[in-house]
Amino acid sequence: MISPYIIHLLILIGIYIILSVSLNLILGYTGLLNLGHIALFGIGAYASALLTMNGVPFVISFILAGLIAGVFGFLLVLATRKLKGDYYALATLGFGFVVYSLFLNLTGLTRGPLGIPGIPKPDLFGLIIKSNFSYLIFVFFIALIVVFVIYKIVKSPFGKLLEAMRDDEVGLRVLGKDTRKLKYKTMMISAFFAGIAGSLFAHYISFIDPSSFYISELIFVFTIVIVGGIASIKGSIIAPFVIVLIPETLRFLALPSSIIGPARQIIYALILLLILMYRPRGLFGRIDLE
Amino acid sequence: MALLLQLTINGLIAGSIYALVASGFSLIYGTNRFMHFAHGISVVVAGYIIYTLFTLLGINFFLSFLLTLILSGLFGFLMFRLAYLPLQNRKASNVILLMASIAILILFQNLVQAIFGADVKSLRYLEVGKGLSFFSAVITPLQIVIILTAFVLMICLYLFMKKTKLGRDMRAVADNKELASIVGINDRKISDYSFIIGSILAGIAGILISLEQNLGPAMGTSLIIKGFTGAVIGGINFVPGSIFGSYLLGFAENYGIWFLPSGYKDAIAFVLLFIFLLFRPNGLFGLNWGLR
Amino acid sequence: MRSILEIKNISKHFGGIKALDNCTLEIPKGKIIAIIGPNGSGKTTLFNVISNLIKKDNGEIYLENENISKNEDFEIAKKGISRTFQNVRLFRNLTIKDHLEIALADSDEKLLKSLFWKRENKDKGVKEILDVVGLNKNLDTYATDLSFGQRKLLDLAMAIARSPSILMLDEPVAGINPKLRVEIKEILRKLNEKGETILVIEHDMNFVMDLADYVYVLDYGKVIAEGKPREIQNNKRVLEAYLGE
Repeated sequence: MISPYIIHLLILIGIYIILSVSLNLILGYTGLLNLGHIALFGIGAYASALLTMNGVPFVISFILAGLIAGVFGFLLVLATRKLKGDYYALATLGFGFVVYSLFLNLTGLTRGPLGIPGIPKPDLFGLIIKSNFSYLIFVFFIALIVVFVIYKIVKSPFGKLLEAMRDDEVGLRVLGKDTRKLKYKTMMISAFFAGIAGSLFAHYISFIDPSSFYISELIFVFTIVIVGGIASIKGSIIAPFVIVLIPETLRFLALPSSIIGPARQIIYALILLLILMYRPRGLFGRIDLE
Repeated sequence: MALLLQLTINGLIAGSIYALVASGFSLIYGTNRFMHFAHGISVVVAGYIIYTLFTLLGINFFLSFLLTLILSGLFGFLMFRLAYLPLQNRKASNVILLMASIAILILFQNLVQAIFGADVKSLRYLEVGKGLSFFSAVITPLQIVIILTAFVLMICLYLFMKKTKLGRDMRAVADNKELASIVGINDRKISDYSFIIGSILAGIAGILISLEQNLGPAMGTSLIIKGFTGAVIGGINFVPGSIFGSYLLGFAENYGIWFLPSGYKDAIAFVLLFIFLLFRPNGLFGLNWGLR
Repeated sequence: MRSILEIKNISKHFGGIKALDNCTLEIPKGKIIAIIGPNGSGKTTLFNVISNLIKKDNGEIYLENENISKNEDFEIAKKGISRTFQNVRLFRNLTIKDHLEIALADSDEKLLKSLFWKRENKDKGVKEILDVVGLNKNLDTYATDLSFGQRKLLDLAMAIARSPSILMLDEPVAGINPKLRVEIKEILRKLNEKGETILVIEHDMNFVMDLADYVYVLDYGKVIAEGKPREIQNNKRVLEAYLGE
């Protein structure tokens, strides 16, 4: 029916939808440039992998992956609460580096650069998601729920508070709103979803290693969010399709395999740079960041 | 004891490289008020330029050296004029400039990898000479050159900032941009020079690294993190501070792996960076920006 | 006359500069109090210290006999102090309706409650406030599409919408055309007739003299004079402060 390769791409797109919508929540709506989002993704992936491989049922590992990532999200807000702007961004980037370093060096737990192979397929109360097609259904089902939840948040009065905080935090505080609480709540939600995206990723690819959760992944997800548009849920749903599919056109160029990897990165970096320079709103964004 | 001495020497060497990177970064940050994260790639690009000129094309070393410095300065200048300045004119926030900077870093890192391959290159100018013994610690002539070059350059930089008109103008802009432009300092020109000089410093670092170690595309990321960490430790907008911070980092890394497995070397930098950003974002000597 | 706000011995210095020097003020309930003084005399700093946007060095502040010196900025706002800023603080990407809904809501920070919030007709409350300030723009207009005067009105509307016990206004008519100035004066007068306590920083002397029940004069961070508007007008020290030695 549908080519297996397309199914593979669609599964990735589904996972990236979850990642970008959750990143957009914290970046686009709340105005926090959280460069540690991928680290939270990685924490979810490793947590889920390690838990299931130690006998914990998938459904529980899946939820725990989100919760553990959520805890780290909380800690990250706690740690960075006094920073703003680019200092905040760099502290979150630093957090990402520290987490990467831990993945790489806590070899007793994570097997370091060797990664964790053989991550089992999800077992939903006896129903094992074996085929890629059924995994696709599973991923899109989860993505649908995530998008729905974030949509509801964003449209609610709470969501308006987030946008106000993004636009002028002090202005919101003198209206009597506790912006710190807003940051904690939003970050924990964003982190939770990044964590479950990590779980979906780990159990699909069945092998994870630290390199999947480092700078190039970060650029990739950010490109998606910026291209889709800051504070646009629609954008974060459509952009993954665009961004994942563009480098596929490279396949028609018959480039030597050593160039394909860097060529993809070049394309993403260029897209990100050009969008930032000439169309910072992206495809569907309504917002001007200054 | 010999181990301690060796670690100290290694710390000195690492610190010198980081100082070269951090001083340029600090100079640019102080003058322009945003984080030129792509500074790390200036180091890598310089390394590959001299590799191309000297190893691939066989051009005389000193000529290659000079050309590389000029091209490094030009590279920095172009990054400013073609990317950052247009964004600044559009009133882009620091956050956007940072994202653009990271994009530039990744762009050129992968361009270099696509052109030259991911494998490491070596420059093969000075033979990996026999290390000189120094109280039973070993240091090669090249490593001595690195340390001395860094020292000399830092002194030159200091004199430049203190004694020359351009240097004083730069410090004025770093201190108070509005006031500086009121007294007639052309801050566009100053920005140009900050990028040129900063990138030339990065270029020197790149040349020294490719002589001493091997050259690989991913070095830019790791170097800017180290250089940035050094700058944050010392005070990100304060050039002498960031030099001090870089040496501190060099020592911390090398003494650190006395206690920890060597794989944690980079982790030491990351952790220090994170700790300083959280508890002392102004560094040991810096001014008060970045907090609420 | 009960004091609704007592500001006692507030000092604040920035580096070597004393922005506020042992200031004491008493704001009686239901009155309009003006704070005037030359530029740089510490008026806005005083507001910022009261709101706790800036930490004071020493002194105490009491709101309705409760010591709020250690409360955070948003807590102080929650306790009933509304303020506006010289440079109007609005939310660039939100509409007039959004602004007022935020100002009117009191538990929108609770996520779960907010998710199941039913869209009652909040529009009515919003329209009422807009009528009070005379802002007749479409509710879906974005803040960035408003004129300067309209933005000041929206700022005022948000402050009023919170039904505060004290309204602190920092130069509410600066840069406003004379016609709108008079309108705003009337709005404030009407609010005061209904019992609102207003603390206002202003440079426009007519505005101050017309409206204020009592005036405090600041210069170099010190309260150099206080009294009814007529008294202040004839006070030598005040004239000196404004005109220089």
